[in-house]
Amino acid sequence: MPSNPTPGPVRSSQLIWSRYKYPDTLIRYGAWLVFFVFLVYSIEYLNIPLDRLIGMFGRMGDTIANRYYPPDMAYIMDHDYLQYVVETIQMAYLGALFGLLLAVPLGWFAAHNMTPSKTFVYPIARLITMGCRAVHEMIWAILFVSILGFGMLPGVLALTFFCTGFAGKLLAEEIEAADMGPVEAMRSTGANLFQTMVFGIFPQIRVAVTGIAIYTWDVAFRAATVVGFFGAGGMGWYLKRNVLQIETERVAAILVSILILVMISESISAWARNKAMKMK
Amino acid sequence: MDRQPVPAMAVTADMILQRRRGKRYTQAGVYLILCVLVLWSVQVTIIEDTDWARMGSLAEVWESTNRFIGIDFALFKDLIGPTIETFMIACLGTLLGVLLCIPAAWFGALNITPFKPVTYPLARLMMTISRSIHEIVWALFFVAAVGLGALPGIFAIAVRSVGFIAKMSAEAIEDIDPGPVEAIRSVGGNNLQVLIYAILPQILPQVLGVIIFEWEINIRRSAVLGLVGAGGLGLVFFRQMNTFNYHGVMSVIIAILALIVLGEAFSHRVRRAII
Amino acid sequence: MAILTVTDLHARYSSSGPEILKGISFAVEDDDFFAIIGPSGAGKSTLIRCINRLVEPAQGQIIFDGRHVTELPKRELRTLRRDIGVIFQEFNLINRMSVMDNVLSGRLGYTGNLRTLFRAFKRDDIEHGLQLLERVGLIDHVDKRADELSGGQRQRVGIARALMQNPKMLLLDEPTSALDPKISREVMGLIKQMATELKVPCLCNIHDVQLATEFCNKIIGLQDGYMKFNGPTEQMDEAKLNDIYAMEVL
Repeated sequence: MPSNPTPGPVRSSQLIWSRYKYPDTLIRYGAWLVFFVFLVYSIEYLNIPLDRLIGMFGRMGDTIANRYYPPDMAYIMDHDYLQYVVETIQMAYLGALFGLLLAVPLGWFAAHNMTPSKTFVYPIARLITMGCRAVHEMIWAILFVSILGFGMLPGVLALTFFCTGFAGKLLAEEIEAADMGPVEAMRSTGANLFQTMVFGIFPQIRVAVTGIAIYTWDVAFRAATVVGFFGAGGMGWYLKRNVLQIETERVAAILVSILILVMISESISAWARNKAMKMK
Repeated sequence: MDRQPVPAMAVTADMILQRRRGKRYTQAGVYLILCVLVLWSVQVTIIEDTDWARMGSLAEVWESTNRFIGIDFALFKDLIGPTIETFMIACLGTLLGVLLCIPAAWFGALNITPFKPVTYPLARLMMTISRSIHEIVWALFFVAAVGLGALPGIFAIAVRSVGFIAKMSAEAIEDIDPGPVEAIRSVGGNNLQVLIYAILPQILPQVLGVIIFEWEINIRRSAVLGLVGAGGLGLVFFRQMNTFNYHGVMSVIIAILALIVLGEAFSHRVRRAII
Repeated sequence: MAILTVTDLHARYSSSGPEILKGISFAVEDDDFFAIIGPSGAGKSTLIRCINRLVEPAQGQIIFDGRHVTELPKRELRTLRRDIGVIFQEFNLINRMSVMDNVLSGRLGYTGNLRTLFRAFKRDDIEHGLQLLERVGLIDHVDKRADELSGGQRQRVGIARALMQNPKMLLLDEPTSALDPKISREVMGLIKQMATELKVPCLCNIHDVQLATEFCNKIIGLQDGYMKFNGPTEQMDEAKLNDIYAMEVL
């Protein structure tokens, strides 16, 4: 905001006060105009039926009440289904674990202050983390299913790729934020880069890494409940089958089970995260 | 600072070595359990579950991977529309999410929630539900409820992002400086005026940052919602996949990446300008 | 014999940045306790960091123990750094590790990667560490975490870590400026005592002139990257000090 740099006696012309001065007003109103034009244009472009929007919610409520209620709870208590739940957990666990293991070197190489080579390794590691993260986990799942066939292996791989990018980026940021004092001290004892990492950086980021690991698990589990929808194993496969067969009450039950599981997992990880932060 | 007579070497190297060895044994135990767990999971999910015969030899896997290498340039001109659509779904979804987040943040901030025993837990529950369900599930739900098209995508994005934005905003509200609130109250301002004049200016930069961050993620999300019938690039991806046009699949992925990179660059710029 | 000879040293932080050291030359003898004084921003820290190439010098020659420091490849640079102990202003301890581990980290240059990973230091190293900790008066704090100690105690850990390397020379980067005056004197006294005992020459970068004249036998004075004075402590007088610190008064 431009301010008036010359303090002096108040002239009468300055007594007329408006909140925004000239170039500011133009930018402001211009931005609002662009915003509304974009809004209207996109509603138009996407063919959103505004007139039916209000009634839609009523019908939505009807649909849920009539077709999705009551959820078929017996279906999700079934032994087979529970086994799929366990497998989903295992899939998420493996994906998160492999992702984290890959993310450790990758995050190190992609951290500007500790990378072995700024001109060569750094950009490559950056590119890999970005690529892994930018491609949505469902797309990874579809690609791996098409290459390897149905099953949990593509699911684990998809989660691994996604978690690698996710955790790698967070890890790199954490390493970049570390205090360089101990690093300098380690360097001056004649330690090599690996030793400097182990002694200079790792103790500093240990707590943060625990946090990142828990966070990664959260994300992985959330994704694991769905990757099966595209053939990559786990509960998602059940979801897909029932959606296709229009077994709405069973779909509702599966959604409820996903919700409950994710909430349990989230509260456990929230508890673990608190515990880890207190450990310092 | 001289030390008084040193108590004849209270700690010896042996003690330290022994303690370290003990520590290492417990560590080794923990890692062993972890490894067993991993091996069991690998056994169940990968070795038993995979149809190795269908996958075939490594060469065959390589061959099926190879199908994806290459780009269908002819497809790009058909991708412009869906790309814009994806972008718009992300924008409108974020916008709707922001609107929804106003009551959620209001109810969910301890210091301004209107009726603590009811509204606070209610808002927190909504936030958790919104965050814990995957966007694909939300999209499935809305597609089932309102039919195919961009609308369920917008709803899914909005509902998925409201939790995070509301949570961060509520935390920002809880951290505000109470001084301005008192000031506005003491000139006789009502609740709404307090909200607009005392709270909003304090949290605006932070919340704006969160919104832009979430918008960036929403681009990534909206690109896949088409897979379950909610429009945009996902739909094209699905079609290319079903017609076995693998080079087309790569083209779609490139379009998605380009959109995400643009979004990220933009969001990085804007967030830096705000903070 | 001179253990360290520096000739015409120039340094800058970035290739286009301003020059921080503009032609420094001096020599440290085997029994010297050498002080570098000067106002803040004169380039004292940079000079210290050039000696073991924590900062890459732009030009000039550094000869340490018969080795041309500026020309050493990476691996040999690490062997060189093993021979030079550094004590830092902000201690630069690893806060989340125990005092013992901090002291042992001085041996990293002699330890393999696998041993580093499991912190499995050799028995001799542990014994050496215990002896040093006893000497610096921290034997009761072996298992405490470094961030539980007071400033003076932390710097003692720093001293033990540097001496763990069996250094041929010590570089001290303002070792006492984060400590209060009384503790400063104690710490300087301890360093001097240990250095004399172990026959390690020191190159000490110090802001406090009082301490410098008290503990050091030779002084160089830096001002804005130029060397304004180089000689035994006795030759230092009020006029020369005023000259060196003239910039700071402004």
